[in-house]
Amino acid sequence: MALLEVEKLSKSYGSNTAVAEVGFHIDKGETYGLLGPNGAGKSTTISIIAGVLKADSGSVRIDGQEHGVSNAATKGQIGFVPQELALYPDLNAWDNLMFFARLYGLSGAKARSRCGEILEIIDLTDRAKENVSTFSGGMSRRLNIGVGMLNRPRLLILDEPAVGVDAQSRNAILESIQRQAADGVSVLYTTHYMEEAERLCDRVGIIDSGRIQAEGTQRELISQVGEDDTIVLSLGGGKDRAVRALKELSEVREVSVEGSEVRLLLKDARSVIARILEVVTASEAVLRSVEVQEPDLEAVFLHLTGKALRE
Amino acid sequence: MSKTLAITALNLRRTFRDRGNIFFMLLLPLIMVFMMGMSYGGDQQRLGLVVNGQDQPLAERLADELEESGRFPIERLGDYEQLRDRIEQGRINGGLVIPEDYDETLRDGGTVEIGFVTRPDDWSSYPLRTWASSIASQEASVIGAAQFASENGDEGFDENLRRSEEADPPGIEVETVTTGEAVFPQDVGQYGLAAPPLLLLFTFVISLTTAIGVVEMRQKGLSRRMYSTPTPLRTLIAGEALGRFVVTISQALIILVGSSLLFGVVWGDPLAISAVVAAFCLVGAGTAMLIGSLCRSEGGALAAALVVGLGAAGAGGTMVPLEALSGPSRTAAYATPHAWGYEAFSELIRHGGGILDILPQLGALCGFAVVLFGLGAWRMKWVLTR
Repeated sequence: MALLEVEKLSKSYGSNTAVAEVGFHIDKGETYGLLGPNGAGKSTTISIIAGVLKADSGSVRIDGQEHGVSNAATKGQIGFVPQELALYPDLNAWDNLMFFARLYGLSGAKARSRCGEILEIIDLTDRAKENVSTFSGGMSRRLNIGVGMLNRPRLLILDEPAVGVDAQSRNAILESIQRQAADGVSVLYTTHYMEEAERLCDRVGIIDSGRIQAEGTQRELISQVGEDDTIVLSLGGGKDRAVRALKELSEVREVSVEGSEVRLLLKDARSVIARILEVVTASEAVLRSVEVQEPDLEAVFLHLTGKALRE
Repeated sequence: MSKTLAITALNLRRTFRDRGNIFFMLLLPLIMVFMMGMSYGGDQQRLGLVVNGQDQPLAERLADELEESGRFPIERLGDYEQLRDRIEQGRINGGLVIPEDYDETLRDGGTVEIGFVTRPDDWSSYPLRTWASSIASQEASVIGAAQFASENGDEGFDENLRRSEEADPPGIEVETVTTGEAVFPQDVGQYGLAAPPLLLLFTFVISLTTAIGVVEMRQKGLSRRMYSTPTPLRTLIAGEALGRFVVTISQALIILVGSSLLFGVVWGDPLAISAVVAAFCLVGAGTAMLIGSLCRSEGGALAAALVVGLGAAGAGGTMVPLEALSGPSRTAAYATPHAWGYEAFSELIRHGGGILDILPQLGALCGFAVVLFGLGAWRMKWVLTR
């Protein structure tokens, strides 16, 4: 059942259309990635869903309830992590958490207890009394996410939450989001890092020029655009015999040779790989290595929009 | 309400956690009150006196008369150069120079000229001059009587002078009766003159610097995050506005209490002073919100705050006293809240007025507050929802 339903959402600034009839849904416990380059309309969409921006038209429903900038009830079910480090750098982590806890309606022992839990979740308990200005980028990002989890949200909205951090911190951030999803929280995640979307998201919506261009699981998207898999063989002696034999296979659409490297284009490489290896062995060629390259979201994005994800 | 107070408390806390603000809000205004107060003087006016030449009993008589009068303190100086330096340094307001032929000229029945030295246009030296002229006239009448007796009798000048003195000749005194109110009453004291304009200046500038916080809030995404919580927009704006008002009024209280405790400034009717300060702080907070929501960068907000804060202070009579402005400058001053605040403080502090005496000024300040607060809140709402 859908926790978030977005229908025909549109928003323009003057003559500039930021979002045009965007629609998607997120089921309970599902992680949905909104993938697109800068200026694609991700942040506008997210801002409307987070309840900080009014749409010109369309609707957003949270658990069937109409959601908007002035609906405190639905806002209380959302945790929002903006792309900016929306923290007070001259206050410590604890004070930042306590302040936002009050805005979420928590006070007294409840607020203190929840802030303590959040500090443990984001692994900053021992740095709680240190000013945020002294934190590393990764620590600040973790706290930024922690604030968004204060109200135990049913829908966690994260706008590029791991941008600009090192690999270790990014991994910690992604793990904490995965734990939230495992606990049944629905997650709306925007990024222009394909690896993050591939790792986290159950489904992905590709947005460009303010419109959802395609959506589905990673495999669904790849099959939608009809991209081929690639098998790269590194061969020694007997290469020519092997190439002739491989060209005979009906599953192989194209064979190209460059030095010792033989590239095969085909559908669903995983199901054909055993047969390929049989043919190579039978042709008595020397097989040095095998690599299977499946099309990724980057390729899908390029196919759909004609531009790279990080443009 | 608790969310509004949480936002207010956050603003206050952030302001006072910054050590730089402790200097700018606590120490600097009080140092300025002290320095400005010192420059207003406030010591009793003093008359310098130079008696040139040796062995001039008549000149010494005049000096004694001046000293015995006790109206103003006399500072005896060695020569004209010393007197000139003291006047130019502002240590004394005026001085008399008794020429070395004073005694000889008077004994010969002539008219002697005593020089009165002062700075050009120094109105504060007028009472000194009037008083010195009065003493000199009395002395002239005694000496004149002695001369007349010497010329028409057998006794010498000195004996006749003694007799003339004993006779206590009738005199005519001009009594000064004042009407209306002095612009700068003596009993207000120099710090009472210095503190009010500085309160207006610092309070307004400090309030405007809080505009930077509004820009920071938007740039860091803090406003979006706050708005994403189940907190109504009006609560957020109220909290931010109240936060700025509380910071501003803290500055005003620091100057009010500090100047009162340290320099003995008597601010007058507490109710009226509270009303003026509160209205003026509302004007400052409203302007801060407006500037903060109009500027796109912290640097821009700071520059705007300083330009508006110092510009309005200068035009409104807090750098140059409002009384010193005339014509179009004086009229233009009333386009700033400072001029109205200054007038209200003048009425309360210098003339012991009450809240009824400052209703026009209070009304003008409230008008400024309503317009600027309204514009600030409207503009903040606009930027927070886009």
